[in-house]
Amino acid sequence: MLGIPDPQVWLAYLLCILSGLLCVVYGVLNWNRD
Amino acid sequence: MTDYLTFGVVVGAYLLITTALAYMGYLRTKSNRDYLIAGGRAHPYLMALAYGSAFISTAAIVGFGGAAALFGMGILWLTFCNIFIGIFIAFVLYGKRTTLLGKQLDAQTFPELLGKRFDSNFIRRLAGVVITLGMPLYAAAVMIGGARFLETTLNINYTVAVAVFALFVGGYVITGGLKGVFYTDALQGSIMFVGMLTLLVFTYAILGGVTPAHQALTALAAHVPESLAAAGHQGWTAMPAFGSEYWWVLVTTIILGVGVGVLAQPQLVVRFLSVRGPRELNRAVIIGGVFILAMTGVAFVVGALTNVYFYQTTGQISLLASISPATGKPNIDTIIPMYINSALPPWFTSIFMLTLLAAAMSTLSGQFHTIGTALSHDLYQRTGLLVSRLGIVVALIVTVFLAYKLPPGIIAVATALFFAICAATFLPAYTAALFWKKATKPGAIASMVTGLTTSLIMLTFFHAKGATALGISQALFGKPTLAGFPWVVVDPIVVSLPLSALALVVVSYLTQGQEQALPYYDRQKAFAAASD
Repeated sequence: MLGIPDPQVWLAYLLCILSGLLCVVYGVLNWNRD
Repeated sequence: MTDYLTFGVVVGAYLLITTALAYMGYLRTKSNRDYLIAGGRAHPYLMALAYGSAFISTAAIVGFGGAAALFGMGILWLTFCNIFIGIFIAFVLYGKRTTLLGKQLDAQTFPELLGKRFDSNFIRRLAGVVITLGMPLYAAAVMIGGARFLETTLNINYTVAVAVFALFVGGYVITGGLKGVFYTDALQGSIMFVGMLTLLVFTYAILGGVTPAHQALTALAAHVPESLAAAGHQGWTAMPAFGSEYWWVLVTTIILGVGVGVLAQPQLVVRFLSVRGPRELNRAVIIGGVFILAMTGVAFVVGALTNVYFYQTTGQISLLASISPATGKPNIDTIIPMYINSALPPWFTSIFMLTLLAAAMSTLSGQFHTIGTALSHDLYQRTGLLVSRLGIVVALIVTVFLAYKLPPGIIAVATALFFAICAATFLPAYTAALFWKKATKPGAIASMVTGLTTSLIMLTFFHAKGATALGISQALFGKPTLAGFPWVVVDPIVVSLPLSALALVVVSYLTQGQEQALPYYDRQKAFAAASD
């Protein structure tokens, strides 16, 4: 995927982007909580 | 290399704006609470950038970027850990409760938080000792990185460069306290963000796009030198062979040691004490996550891809292109600067150099502040602006002394050494302070002492890089390290952190009943204290 054959490596590449997105989505959804 | 005049003007403007921000911090510092935790009312945007920029030093970009050129994209597991553990878990799980418990117990430093939670001045002082003895090593490593960089880019004497760094950064931390640190961090973090994003766009553009760049890197697997292949290297878009030397180094030191070690860094925990409440952290996590992705994510991807650039232009992979003519040995720390100088337009060189300068300064300012407050607030235990400022003066002097005197071998392992010690000493007790009501004072003390001693023993006698640099094992036993493979390349955290956690649980159960007198997190009390 994305030119990276080793699933252990493209998974890391993907998880980096997804974890960045997780931070954004969590922050937006909980903007006024707590 | 960009011309000195352009870079000189850019740096001059940057230093001027930083000075203005520092002065603003000084004007707004009225009390010791302002000085220690920015008044406990920091804006989420400021706090997130202050957390991220203190987290990422020049070494994270240049040193680990160089490591990515050697190990390849498997190092992106560290970026995932940096974001998921170092930001998401840190802010949402640890951070929110730290903020509230800090308000409830009126704690203004990390050692004070632990000490008050376990009703133990011993814990507070022990944490203060670990910080004042250990963190100057880490700060000296950051300062040397920054000074070496000033030496080569501005062509000034190394001794002068260290003095400039110490006086400038020390000056704004001493006068402005945490507010001065936060305001300047926000500028420095913003510069770093722009610099790294530009670097990513340029790199993919030079190499023809995302997928073609990765395909070209994959194709280089046929050119892995035999010596690297013997250590487990299988190409730059593949993980090292399972169980090989490179696999152990990548998984334990780089991914675990740095990925988990960050949760118990005192200079980062104090950021959680600086905001009004948990709502601010919900907002800050957005900036934090995106910032770290743009820092280590970009540095590691670009670091790995430098192999394609150097292979296309010189016929050599990055490691071989980094061989110094003087010593005949490769130096991975030179790969990123070399790539910037040869692959990117001259105007970008100035921006990137400023990015590295900002990265060093923002990390250093957080370290000075934490060492200084550990001295004045947790060891000497006096409050007042003058005492707090004197604490930072002492921190500055100790760090500068180490920067001039420490041998290069120790500096190279200082950062990993400090991260490992912090994780083993603080993480189980800190976790229990926040989440485990049954933890007792003897349990917390046992955990901290066990974590500290086992990580020091591992570093001194078993872990090859640490033991060789310290030389104590060689002096006592005539052998650089007492362990065999894989223990020589396994990070101490793999052993010392579980032992520290075990000590906490076992001793707490043996002393059950003692926890009832301790203050535990109480949401209502905490919110009441936060709204005062």
